[in-house]
Amino acid sequence: MTLTRRSFLAVTAALGATALGVGACTSPTTANPGKLTLWYSSNGLSEKVLGEAVARFPERHLVPSKVSGELKQRLLAALSGEAYLPDITMIGDDISTYFAAADRFVDLNSVGAQQDQDRYLDWKWQAGRTPGGVQLGFPIDIGPAALYYRHDLFREAGLPSEPDEVAAAVSTWDDYFEFGKRAQEKLPGRYMITDTKTVFTYSLAQESKKYLDKQNRYLSDQSQVRRAWDRAVQAFRMGLTAGYAGNASSSGDSIDRNAAWSTGKELSFVSASWITGSLKQAAPNTSGNWHLCRPPGGPGNQGGSFLAITRYCPDPQGAYEVVKWILGPENQPRTYLELGLFPSSPAVYDDPQLLQPEEFFGGQSTMSVFGAVAKEVPAVYFSPYDITISDTYTDELTNVESAGKDPDRAWDDANRLVERLLRRQGVLA
Amino acid sequence: MTATIPTTSREAPAPQRRVNAGSRKRWRYLPQYLAIAPFFVLFAVFGLYPVLYSLFLSLQRWDGVGPMKFVGLENFAFLLSDSVFWDSIGNTLLIWVMSTIPMLVLAMLVALGLNSSVRHKGVLRVAYFLPNVTSIVAMSLVFGSFFSNEFGVLNWFLGLVGVDPVQWLNDPWAIRSALSIMIIWRWTGYNAIIFLAGLQALPQEVFEAAKLDGAGPVQTFFRVTLPLMRPMVLFSVVMSAIGGLQIFTESQVLLGNRGGADGGGLTMVLYFYNTAFADNDFGYGAAIAWGIFVVVVVFSVLNWRLVQRPERGAPDTKGAGR
Repeated sequence: MTLTRRSFLAVTAALGATALGVGACTSPTTANPGKLTLWYSSNGLSEKVLGEAVARFPERHLVPSKVSGELKQRLLAALSGEAYLPDITMIGDDISTYFAAADRFVDLNSVGAQQDQDRYLDWKWQAGRTPGGVQLGFPIDIGPAALYYRHDLFREAGLPSEPDEVAAAVSTWDDYFEFGKRAQEKLPGRYMITDTKTVFTYSLAQESKKYLDKQNRYLSDQSQVRRAWDRAVQAFRMGLTAGYAGNASSSGDSIDRNAAWSTGKELSFVSASWITGSLKQAAPNTSGNWHLCRPPGGPGNQGGSFLAITRYCPDPQGAYEVVKWILGPENQPRTYLELGLFPSSPAVYDDPQLLQPEEFFGGQSTMSVFGAVAKEVPAVYFSPYDITISDTYTDELTNVESAGKDPDRAWDDANRLVERLLRRQGVLA
Repeated sequence: MTATIPTTSREAPAPQRRVNAGSRKRWRYLPQYLAIAPFFVLFAVFGLYPVLYSLFLSLQRWDGVGPMKFVGLENFAFLLSDSVFWDSIGNTLLIWVMSTIPMLVLAMLVALGLNSSVRHKGVLRVAYFLPNVTSIVAMSLVFGSFFSNEFGVLNWFLGLVGVDPVQWLNDPWAIRSALSIMIIWRWTGYNAIIFLAGLQALPQEVFEAAKLDGAGPVQTFFRVTLPLMRPMVLFSVVMSAIGGLQIFTESQVLLGNRGGADGGGLTMVLYFYNTAFADNDFGYGAAIAWGIFVVVVVFSVLNWRLVQRPERGAPDTKGAGR
């Protein structure tokens, strides 16, 4: 009895030890050893193009893997555990978050990215490079801004309505506000601006400096932030904003805003190109009535993403060939037509396929507007704290707009919170 | 079990034999230990380790990618002076009070209704319980269009009766009301079922006696039913406190990570989530989590005292019951 028990125990212990040992050794560094795993979020890359890439590079064994939910959380977890990592991963416009861990990614320049640099927008290419000169990200898409407006309603009200005329009439934010006042007098009950948040966001997007410099030091001159803030408050004081800021759900959609699009309550708005899909979906009845033109204040960009190769990838050169092909100028038009991901390669902007007149925009070719804007976007450093800082300012703007907070107090509160945040992060002493 | 091992080993004189006997004894109980192991292993991996690690994290500054930096108690010092954190505690408690009191009253009314002789009791019970098993995310999306400022169903109804539309999602108090309404909708049925079970278990003699003594329905309810239902009500209060301190999904889906206008819907857990997983400030996020832990401990003590009280005040309740 004791003997059998002892042998049983010995066997159990041996099994346990083996399991432990095996477990410790076989937890693979990359998600599919021997294959090339590519993580992308839904609608982050064209599945058709990815499918072709799999067939085109059979020797690379590409495995595109669509990450449901937050790709970033999964990537952070995999990086922390150094296990089940992708070989290639998508990274959002907060790419600077990864700059502190640049050693965990492949410097794309070491696999020949310099030769391909010229085919992409310089400011976008720079955004994927660390202050130390490591090329971490390869551009996927960008988000050039434009002014979307209701051409039909502008014309009925006797306002300038052709893109060139409108662009000339709203070339600065002040002009835009004056134009808005006139438009709202003629079309009462309608709004020219979504909310103070969009004014702040797109005004700051036009500046060549934001909050921090490339060494992550807080800029002593924050006048660009104050400028964006003042413009937002001015738009609110002039009664131009509809105030849909506070009620955007986590998905960014707002029922009120969607309804305002289809009823014509929202006469115009400034947004990046990626809104077109939502607009078409939310307000199909307004098809043909929209036009767009160069945004007030100048060109700006909002959003966009990159592909990066992790250093755990055993064959960075091969991975780079795949990335280069997927995001090459020959595939970007297809991705744009399929998903609305705006090309980061300017060569594509002259593609006749993309310059077609669009029915939804009353026969206008939107590419000609966006393309011109995209080429002029100022290069700017987007620090790891930018999203949180911007959220702090826009939260306070929402308080002004919908909770009746005094703008001066809101400005002081926002600055106090930003200062606290930066002190906690060790940016400010 | 642990006591037996030292005792036997003390009896054994030779050191070599002691080891053998000791280890043999220890091995003997291995199957029993193995049998209870799954819980402890799972708890250690998914419970204990994360708890300890979050304590470690709360002393670091870490963005989730780069190297960690030890900052001592700095995160906690920030937390104590963080007005947003204190506001989030206030919001959580306000939403809890604003939802729990009406919910308990409603649940009691529903339970009384179901307990009296209505038809289709079973169907009604299921119907009242349905909101509780509905996905919170789906529910929040529906409520999003319900509360929408200009095109919402609720404002349309208010317009029908001549009330000005309420900016449900643009005003901190309206936001808290909206969240409370969602919680009430979700939990009233659940509590009603518990109350109903309690009502059905009450002794009928007491009610007959009350009737004989000439008590009306209102008197009977306040003097007889409610005192007897005290344990059920306390259970519901405790359960709703547990749920109420964790309010998160409703806020997050309805208002986004930042908690809406003036942070009106920013609950403790939402603030924690936003800091850790949206702003990637894991060290401070962990510190917030421990702040929440302290709040929960305080509440648990309060709850415990609340539950303990009936024993001390037992003669009183009995007197009222009779």
